[in-house]
Amino acid sequence: MSVLTNFITHTLHGVQYGFILFLIASGLTIILGILDVLNLAHGELYALGAYVASSVLGYVVGLVPPPTDAASQAVFVAVVLGGAVLTAAVLVPVGAAIESVLLRPIYDRNEVYQLVLTFALLLIIKDAIKFGWGPTPVRLQSVYSGINGIPAASLVGLNYPTYNLVIIAVGAVVVVGLFYFFNRTKTGRIIRATAIDREMATAIGVSTDRTFTLVFAVGAFFAGFAGAMALPPTNATLEMGANPLVLSFVVIVIGGLGSLRGAFVAALVVGILSKWATWQYPPAELAAPFAIMAVILLVKPDGLFGTWGEMDA
Amino acid sequence: MLKAVGGTALAAALAGCSSLIGAGTNQDTSGEVSDVPDEPIQAGLQTFTEGPAAVLGLQSQYGAELAVERINAAGGIAGREIQLDVKHEADAYVENYTQFVSEGKEVTFGPVSSGGHAALAPEVEAQGVVNVSTDGTVTTLYEETVPDPTYSFRFQNYDVMECVSAARETVNRLGAENVNTVAGINPNYAFGKDEWKVYTTALQKLTDVEIVYEGFPDLLADDMSTHITEINNQQPDVTFSSQWGGDVVTMMNQAAANNMFDNTQLVGTVLYSAVNDLSQDIVEQAQAFSGSRNYYWGEPEPSRWSPGQKMLDDARSKWDIIPSGHFMSGYGAVASWATATEKAVNLLGGWPSQEQIAMSLEGHGFFTPAGYHVMSERHQGLSTTYFGEMGWSGDVGAPVLNDINSYSPPDVSPPPGTKSIDWIESW
Repeated sequence: MSVLTNFITHTLHGVQYGFILFLIASGLTIILGILDVLNLAHGELYALGAYVASSVLGYVVGLVPPPTDAASQAVFVAVVLGGAVLTAAVLVPVGAAIESVLLRPIYDRNEVYQLVLTFALLLIIKDAIKFGWGPTPVRLQSVYSGINGIPAASLVGLNYPTYNLVIIAVGAVVVVGLFYFFNRTKTGRIIRATAIDREMATAIGVSTDRTFTLVFAVGAFFAGFAGAMALPPTNATLEMGANPLVLSFVVIVIGGLGSLRGAFVAALVVGILSKWATWQYPPAELAAPFAIMAVILLVKPDGLFGTWGEMDA
Repeated sequence: MLKAVGGTALAAALAGCSSLIGAGTNQDTSGEVSDVPDEPIQAGLQTFTEGPAAVLGLQSQYGAELAVERINAAGGIAGREIQLDVKHEADAYVENYTQFVSEGKEVTFGPVSSGGHAALAPEVEAQGVVNVSTDGTVTTLYEETVPDPTYSFRFQNYDVMECVSAARETVNRLGAENVNTVAGINPNYAFGKDEWKVYTTALQKLTDVEIVYEGFPDLLADDMSTHITEINNQQPDVTFSSQWGGDVVTMMNQAAANNMFDNTQLVGTVLYSAVNDLSQDIVEQAQAFSGSRNYYWGEPEPSRWSPGQKMLDDARSKWDIIPSGHFMSGYGAVASWATATEKAVNLLGGWPSQEQIAMSLEGHGFFTPAGYHVMSERHQGLSTTYFGEMGWSGDVGAPVLNDINSYSPPDVSPPPGTKSIDWIESW
């Protein structure tokens, strides 16, 4: 393998990892930026997404023929992506119920109550997963190998899994979509305005209850979507929520609390730098994201795009 | 209270035979004994009952349960049946054992984890209730952590045995002259580091191999692509891995997706622990050499070895699994204690103390469907190790090991009183 090819492959691993990190952290950032709630159960919503995907995706890909020629491969990819969206949609009512039933009564109380509540939710969701899918890991290998059967990267002489390219493409679409939504659409602007000044928004007729429920549901949607996309190359386990939650914290702290733009940049920085670090010095694998966070916070203590207290897209 | 002792029945039941031939079973079992408690034997097993490690842990539990079922069906030990209580291992190795002891358990089994076993063994020595670990195979346990054990035992072969087997297997299959470079992908904790060190030390003694890459992904890492890409870049003759369970599946899936198997020969000590989760296309691409610890269900050929066939049938019908080396570690841990205790009952004419059971276990030989095992004087189980090339069987609907090689304990473990690394260095 040439030096350049090797460099590009390692960098692509970093970009792909960065997009997965962003998919996970985006929901956490949106909820933190707008509701001012640090949702400790976010990692479990991600895990729930992976488990739901094992059932939903497993079912829908069984409805289409195995990917052999170009047409069936295109259908297969479309069905997988549709299945991931369907999986994420299952998380919407879960998120809406959590916000409207459990979080709403305690917005005015000390933030510690929110932390305790969301931590309790973390444990409850984990038990619910165990009840629903059993104690052992679940897998969906056929989706990973099915999409990797499409020789996309080899067209340009690279040895790189097509599934990872799909994650990069999907992540890019989500990034563009989210920025468009919060910057260009009326609903997006209302949500941001509500985050900045709740009383003013109420005064001009915005239902903050409905807005907050919508935001939490959107956060849960992206957690579920990330879980669905992350499942095929690996497996879903009861412990899988912990690492993404911690790494999401790293990403949103580096990016600046509440900044979606910051979360995106931070996710790519952490993804690429930590993969480069692991490549150059394998024992750094665990420590790399935290070392990157420490260095960035030394230079910019509020993170790259720190905007405390208001949503910034 | 007098109870008849059914020694041959118990040993035969655990061996999976209706009768036994060979050494270790010729005690006088026709006599009667006194001072045997009336109540059933309370036993505890700690293993991983949930989470990713349950891929191994549940196999150990099922194996232990099958052994208990066979003991009880054969009338128990001196008429006493066993009641097995199972706890989730989690990170509570010492706490689980302590609770078992406070509940009055007469014997405990487990854990699976190497790190957990290192934490547990000193506590077993302090509390004095015999523990026979199913796994926890780290080499240093009885060489450094607890060098002179009394109550702590381990049934499963330890790391040095499977790593030396792996090194010999590498050379046997590829030829020493073809093994010039080696890379490793091993889990980032005591077991993974122990296995990598022993394997490379042994391989360097057998060949002129150079280490070109070593990666240690965290347990349950969901992305191993950086290590895989670097192996593609280096193209080592051999890539060694001690990944187990779900991590084997993740690694092999991602290795296949990155065409790693075109660039290197994968050799692993416990790849076969993922037997129930690997798919056909990955197994056939990899053509990996894998160990199966001290048990492989297909060796001897099941059609020629009825105890093996019976165990396979039981595992498949009761739990819908292909039994792995971890199934045998649960089964064998219970079998070793039960047969040694029965031997002590026969010798003493009454129920033995913990110390007497421990003494009976030292140097104890017994049969299971995997063959003949010895619990050595060093408290370390020593059994034949199996290695083969992973392939796919349409008949079984699962991965199998083809072209099996077996390694007897003297070939792959140090003589008494010698540390493993010193022994390998002396080759």
